[in-house]
Amino acid sequence: MKGVNAISSSLDPPRALGATPRFDEVAAEQLDAVYRYLVYLTGDRAAAEDLAAETFEKAFRLWRRFDPRRSAPRTWLCRIARTVAIDWFRAEARRKRREETYSRDLGESVEAAFGDGLSAPLEAALRELSPAEREVVALRVLLELDGPSAARVLGISQTACSTRLSRALRRLEEMIGDVRE
Amino acid sequence: MSANDVIGGERMEALLRGDAPRSGAEERRAALLDGLRAAQLRAPEALRARVLATAPAPAARVSRLRRPTRRLALVVVPVAASLAVGAALVHGLVGSGGGKTATDHPPAVRNALAPTTTWRSAGGGAAAAPSSGALEAVPAAPVGSTSRLQHTAASLQVRVADTDALSAATKAATRIATSLGGYAQSVVYRTPQSGGGTADLVLRIPAASVQTALVRLSALGTLVSQQVSVQDLQHAFEVESAQIAQLRRSIAALEQALRDPSLPDAQRVLLRIRLAEQQRALAQRLHARKGTVAAGTTARVSLVLSTAKSAVAPHHRGRVGRMVHSAVGFLALEATVALYVLIVAAPFLLLGGLAWGLNRARRRREERRLLAA
Repeated sequence: MKGVNAISSSLDPPRALGATPRFDEVAAEQLDAVYRYLVYLTGDRAAAEDLAAETFEKAFRLWRRFDPRRSAPRTWLCRIARTVAIDWFRAEARRKRREETYSRDLGESVEAAFGDGLSAPLEAALRELSPAEREVVALRVLLELDGPSAARVLGISQTACSTRLSRALRRLEEMIGDVRE
Repeated sequence: MSANDVIGGERMEALLRGDAPRSGAEERRAALLDGLRAAQLRAPEALRARVLATAPAPAARVSRLRRPTRRLALVVVPVAASLAVGAALVHGLVGSGGGKTATDHPPAVRNALAPTTTWRSAGGGAAAAPSSGALEAVPAAPVGSTSRLQHTAASLQVRVADTDALSAATKAATRIATSLGGYAQSVVYRTPQSGGGTADLVLRIPAASVQTALVRLSALGTLVSQQVSVQDLQHAFEVESAQIAQLRRSIAALEQALRDPSLPDAQRVLLRIRLAEQQRALAQRLHARKGTVAAGTTARVSLVLSTAKSAVAPHHRGRVGRMVHSAVGFLALEATVALYVLIVAAPFLLLGGLAWGLNRARRRREERRLLAA
């Protein structure tokens, strides 16, 4: 089922082979996708907003290295977003160690972090997943990247990517089932 | 959840594509996917404005600056190869010279070289006994000034008809050397079963008779090539003579001083030590000068006699040939340097690669740990 998502469904808009799209067009097209990926990865909308901005700033600086024949803009941007997010996770871990208290409790957030319209059990179940599991769900289900592209973003094999996705979805089903029971 | 609920990879991909579920498990999975996709999550307008503000339509500038690494490598590698080949060609052009005669020899020797053309009739090639006319036709190979001490080294390649002629020519060459007051230093005679044969002779000829020897040796068959080099030893001889004279004067002075009865014992001992040193030095210089004189009075003639079958064709190189030869040599030198650099750099590259790999693995582990929390 497609088209439900508000994100633009054009993964790879038809362009001449090798033609580099304009950055501003790509940014406008892919912003929602990158933001959504970062929300799922971090579980924090505010952080995702900052990281998305940082991602596009970095992408703008690296735009001359982008080769449309090697990857789609969405895949390329997600890889940058992931690098930026990893740095954020690292900084958060350092901060946590330094302060020994984690002031931002994701579980207590009042705002629906993963999107408006998600059922409460699904929202809760998503919170229980690890960032690694949430990001593979975001890439494969929401951003609709194919297996090789998602594996490339994650830096793992396609098999490992499929396994991780299956495990994440199975966990979600289990947790939703538990809540319903 | 039972084992039947497990959804295979292919079916999972089908469900992701929106295919209809085929089982209860697939229905639940499809419902989950629909639930996930149902959520509305758009980037806030503030973020959109912020992002678009950082990207002021840079397409024109970007397309000009874009230099993909792989494409760059496709340019850099051929350019580097072209530069290497170009440098070799320039080296070849510069090194090949412009004359028509072979320039494989130093200038001092070049003048002394006889032409390496087969001075006998090209069609003949037979190793008939040289006629007197042919003997006269042997190109004169000047062997330097007779007033200066010079060492002459010559090499000749002479072709004969068959093994019988080869044997005869070898004996004749030895006789020529002895008749001129010289001797055969070494003779290597080979007649393999495959046919043909060669004889490598090293002859020592008195310097005064080198010219005659070369003419007579050349006449043993068809002269294929001839090379003469002359090394001036006069300066070395004069230096050695001057040193000997100075040492002799010094020894005479020391001996005179030692004859003085009033000389203190301690000083006498010192003078005797010095005298012994000077005498030893004198002996060495005398020996060296003897060698220099011997080299100057005896020429070394290397003669290669070969049958027509085994004879190596003379290597005549034109300007293009010399250029190619020089360029190939330069390329080989470049390859040697590149190989040397590679050998020197290889351990560092290996260590760098290892460090990079370890660092990457460490970062991967850290990432997994961070995202697994």
